[in-house]
Amino acid sequence: MRARRRALSYLVTLWVVVTVNFFLPRLMPGDPLAALLDPQSSDYVFDPEVRAALAAYYGLDRPLLEQYGRYLWGIITGDLGRSIRLNLPVAQLIAGRLPWTLLLTGTALLLSSAVALAMGAESAWRRGSWTDRLLATGSLIVSNAPVYFVGTALIILFGAKLRWLPLAGGRTPFARYDSLLAAVLDIGRHLILPALTLTLSTLGAKFLLVRNSMVSVLGEDFMLVARAKGLPEGRLKWGHALRNALLPFVAHLAAHAGMTVTGALFIETLFNYPGMGRLIFESVGARDYPVIQGVFLVVSAVVLTANLLADLLNARLDPRVREA
Amino acid sequence: MGRRIGADLLFGLTVLTLIGATALLAPVLAPYDPRAFSGQPLERPSRAHLLGTNDVGQDILSELVYGARVSLIVALGAATGTVVLGALIGGFAGYIGGWLDGLLMRLVDGMMSLPRLPLFILIAAFIGAGVPQTVAVISLLFWPTTARIVRAQVQSLRQRGYIRMARQFGGGHLYVLTRHILPQMAPLLISGVVNAAGWAVAMEAGLAFLGLGDPTAKSWGLMMRFALNLPGLLLTDRWLWWLLPPGLCVTLLVLALTFVGIGLERHFHPRLVRRGR
Repeated sequence: MRARRRALSYLVTLWVVVTVNFFLPRLMPGDPLAALLDPQSSDYVFDPEVRAALAAYYGLDRPLLEQYGRYLWGIITGDLGRSIRLNLPVAQLIAGRLPWTLLLTGTALLLSSAVALAMGAESAWRRGSWTDRLLATGSLIVSNAPVYFVGTALIILFGAKLRWLPLAGGRTPFARYDSLLAAVLDIGRHLILPALTLTLSTLGAKFLLVRNSMVSVLGEDFMLVARAKGLPEGRLKWGHALRNALLPFVAHLAAHAGMTVTGALFIETLFNYPGMGRLIFESVGARDYPVIQGVFLVVSAVVLTANLLADLLNARLDPRVREA
Repeated sequence: MGRRIGADLLFGLTVLTLIGATALLAPVLAPYDPRAFSGQPLERPSRAHLLGTNDVGQDILSELVYGARVSLIVALGAATGTVVLGALIGGFAGYIGGWLDGLLMRLVDGMMSLPRLPLFILIAAFIGAGVPQTVAVISLLFWPTTARIVRAQVQSLRQRGYIRMARQFGGGHLYVLTRHILPQMAPLLISGVVNAAGWAVAMEAGLAFLGLGDPTAKSWGLMMRFALNLPGLLLTDRWLWWLLPPGLCVTLLVLALTFVGIGLERHFHPRLVRRGR
């Protein structure tokens, strides 16, 4: 029942995103073409006849409802328009970039979750100690620093000063790989710094969440009972306390997934990483609106899907949520 | 127990005051006009230019000092907009109740589930990212968070005995709202302003970093963008006086706002915090 309601609200939100994406350029002053071709750019079309022809080509002379219908149909069939800058289908551009973003986001999400759970549990277990305070303050500082600033610090240290890791990119340019292993190693080497940056900058919020929910679990009666039963400390900490502190963490995983994706947009720009964020950056510079819109749609869809999955996972872990 | 000001609140307020003073006294503190070409391009730090010059020969220290103004204006504007919108809509929904309340809360739910940063980038790409636009867009995207908190508080206040009493004795809606409900909301609204200011600073810097900054008002984020646009910046030690200072300033400002937010929460609701221990 609940799953169905969640899925429904997911679809409604997705529809809102798609619709906003359609109406935004049409709400701009001037005609929609003005949004398509920036009047300040050098390739702005002044000839009214050409403009009319262009409008007809893009179907902008049809009634609004028909345009909307065509737009929806285009999205369903995977047509997101054409890039003005590269004259390629937007869908094709995005398909080339999406795996990189997913790789980066997925790695960081897994890594930061694992570290946050271990660190948060440890910190709560020794609450009030120096370790606890140091971890709490440190994570607050790192998670408040802008991601691109954290990233720059890592590039300077590991890339420019120590020269251990590549400065930028997703793989070595023009490299030809002899084996699958060589390819994996090269891509992995390029992934380390961006993934580390993203992990660090998303770690703080997760850590504080785990720590605080663990602290409140530790005060529960069942913990006292478990301790009175004489269970070993490890069982108490990981089996009883963390298992229960996990629930709020999973409930917030959706929000964290969204934060990780947006963080990735900045980090890719900084590291020249060939994902969606880099694509946004390149398109913003060239005022390539169809690409910006396409990226917005796909990123939104990814974030919303992550929300839905986290929600369903939460219901699976916590019977109380399932009943509600 | 006396209400002592915590170390976090003290740190936050001190940093905010320093940045605020820098912004106010910018013309006095800055050695040059930040837009004037006061030196050769890419000068190293010297007595004349303490933080060197940028790629077109503008004094970096002066840019930094004036950058405080942009960040603070965005923070103040967006925070005020967010909280005013959120308090009005949330307060109205909580006080009125009924189907209108239900409708407004559905709107809040819907807006909160939208991926806001991608949406923000999209809107900024279309309408431009001048300071007024940034402030307006942040306010329009982030009011639901405040609205939800305010509504919950108003709803619980409305049921309290003394408020019902005031209504029974013939106090008008406006009287009850301004006299009884608003003063109770003050701590909540102040924390709301501080939190929203933190988001706004980070957002503005992030947009500028993506190349969507206001070129006429050079903020710290935009300074970082320009520095990173220089090829090979990180391979020399130029980042030390060009990239690091604005990055540290943004971090300090956001951190100060976070600390003030946490500190205020602790100050206003000491019980809330102790329960967590």
